[in-house]
Amino acid sequence: MSCSGGCHLMCSPVKILNMYGRKACQLVKEFASGEKGQLTPFNNDLFEQVVSECSQHHLELQSLIRKMQEEGLDVQTARNADHYGALIHLFSIVRNKRCLTAYVYNRAETVRNLLWKIGPVLPKEIEEKLNHWEEEYFKKHSAALKSYMSKALVDLTVDMVPPKDPYIQVRVLEDIREGIVLSDDKNPNFARHSMHFLKRTDAEKYISRGLMEELTG
Amino acid sequence: MASYYDIDDILVEEEIVSVIFQKAASGVGIDPSSETDFIEAGSKVELPFWLAHELQLRQAVSVNVPPCFNQKTRLEIQADCACVDLRSRCPYFYEFGCKIAPIVGDRTIGFLLLSAFKNRYKEVLTKAHTATIAVGSKFWTILTKEEINLYETAQSAMASFKKWRMGGARFQIASILGRKRKPTE
Amino acid sequence: MGSRSAEGEQVPLTDEYDALISTTDVELLKRAWRNEKAAPEILRFESDLIIRVREQIELMEETVEEKSTVGTDPLSVSLYQMDLDRTLFLLRSYLRIRIQKIEKYMFHIRKTEELWNRLSKDEKFFTERCTDDLKKHLEESVLSTLPENYQSYERQSVISEEVDMVPEPRLDTFVLCRSKEYLTGIQLEDGPVDDRSKLFEMEPDVLYFICYKSIKPLVESGKIDLL
Repeated sequence: MSCSGGCHLMCSPVKILNMYGRKACQLVKEFASGEKGQLTPFNNDLFEQVVSECSQHHLELQSLIRKMQEEGLDVQTARNADHYGALIHLFSIVRNKRCLTAYVYNRAETVRNLLWKIGPVLPKEIEEKLNHWEEEYFKKHSAALKSYMSKALVDLTVDMVPPKDPYIQVRVLEDIREGIVLSDDKNPNFARHSMHFLKRTDAEKYISRGLMEELTG
Repeated sequence: MASYYDIDDILVEEEIVSVIFQKAASGVGIDPSSETDFIEAGSKVELPFWLAHELQLRQAVSVNVPPCFNQKTRLEIQADCACVDLRSRCPYFYEFGCKIAPIVGDRTIGFLLLSAFKNRYKEVLTKAHTATIAVGSKFWTILTKEEINLYETAQSAMASFKKWRMGGARFQIASILGRKRKPTE
Repeated sequence: MGSRSAEGEQVPLTDEYDALISTTDVELLKRAWRNEKAAPEILRFESDLIIRVREQIELMEETVEEKSTVGTDPLSVSLYQMDLDRTLFLLRSYLRIRIQKIEKYMFHIRKTEELWNRLSKDEKFFTERCTDDLKKHLEESVLSTLPENYQSYERQSVISEEVDMVPEPRLDTFVLCRSKEYLTGIQLEDGPVDDRSKLFEMEPDVLYFICYKSIKPLVESGKIDLL
């Protein structure tokens, strides 16, 4: 950190003010670090640290405002060092808020996409990554979508790809014992490695969840 | 703000810029090694863009042109832009440039961005789909985030097109479940 | 005067008329689907069309059912089935694209009268539920933990002059489009401001790549189709 040559009056070293908002940005980076569409476990520790930084900034802001009031200044119009210091704290809270809400909001969006991709029952490996609020939100959103679909009388979670053939060949990858609902009421044995000729719209969900794979050729 | 929750927009604004404080500010912690919490008018400080921007709007600071748009980089871009490692200059070279240009009052940045983008698009991105690029080659390391996004979009469009032409499984396991599934008991 | 099918069966006139109508409706559905897919914002819900399409689908399902029980050859049945499948796909996809747009821009749609009025009754219920759920989620996980002046889900702080936290679709994206008629007087919304006084023209059946904002009203009135 050398000062630029030729300055005589105030040759102060370059200061770095980059601690503010740093942790908040780390949180956002963590979200972005997952592979596309993947969720990282909810980072409670870092989240709490950012929240507490916001409280800290707010205390400092309030104390600066108080100082101005004690000096008899009009807080709305005065533009002294305390005012600019208070602004810096205000912007820091706003920045932290943006990062925190973006973390929650983007995760919520990923959680909603889960509903489309996998359906309303989450596998354990994904559930573990959500915090309590996110699990609640997922349930509520599933209910909202379900309610819409029952009113509209259409299941929108199937038929995600334009129809080519009404039936496709699949191989079962894992034993599927219960909960099989086929639209033609048949009840075949879905044992591992067995192959079936199923209606495309029936098979879609199982394939999406990794329980079956489409066979081609 | 239409892009309030946009991750890239948030990350761009974390880029560090160099400013000169026009007014003093008190009660502000600089880096931990500093003893004082007072920034004098005239101090040169490095701040993240989000803070520099807000302070500049209120005339508290003046913002310097960041090094990634300095004369050296401009000459390199003019000479052989396809090989310039823009990513190490700034991973969000274009977005950052768009945001910083009005703040530093430099009208030439816009032209620089446009010309760099046009040339790199022509030289690098169009060729990427036809030539075979070795994994780990220098190619990837010099692209900015925006260029990589473009590349990936085109890639997935190409892949869909090939699939449509040549057939193959149209249904796949959801990407969020990862590649391998542990067999359930 | 009916028409003859492969087996020499007489198809009564009403079926033929119905077949004509349903083709037009499916074409309309396809067009509505393509527009919705390509447009960055949610478009007007085609309420009447959807009602007719649903009726069509019911009829087709009955036909398929009937033909398979009566023992019609599997090829004919599968032709009817494919027709049904395609229409069902279009309907599902149309509704799904709209629902996903609502999920993405729920706060914006809820607050903007022009957009709110484009929703069906069921979509309105869904949007209200969605916005309540997400708002509550943000409040409980983040906003309630923040200092007092920063707890709004719409404004960054109490000193924000306007709502500045609500995501919106970008209307200045470029779309591929086509017009059936010759259109004049289109004002381009992009490009240097001094160019904007020039008015653009579109020839029929020619593909154009235009900024959506410039042709928004023409898409709404049905004069331009998106691809």
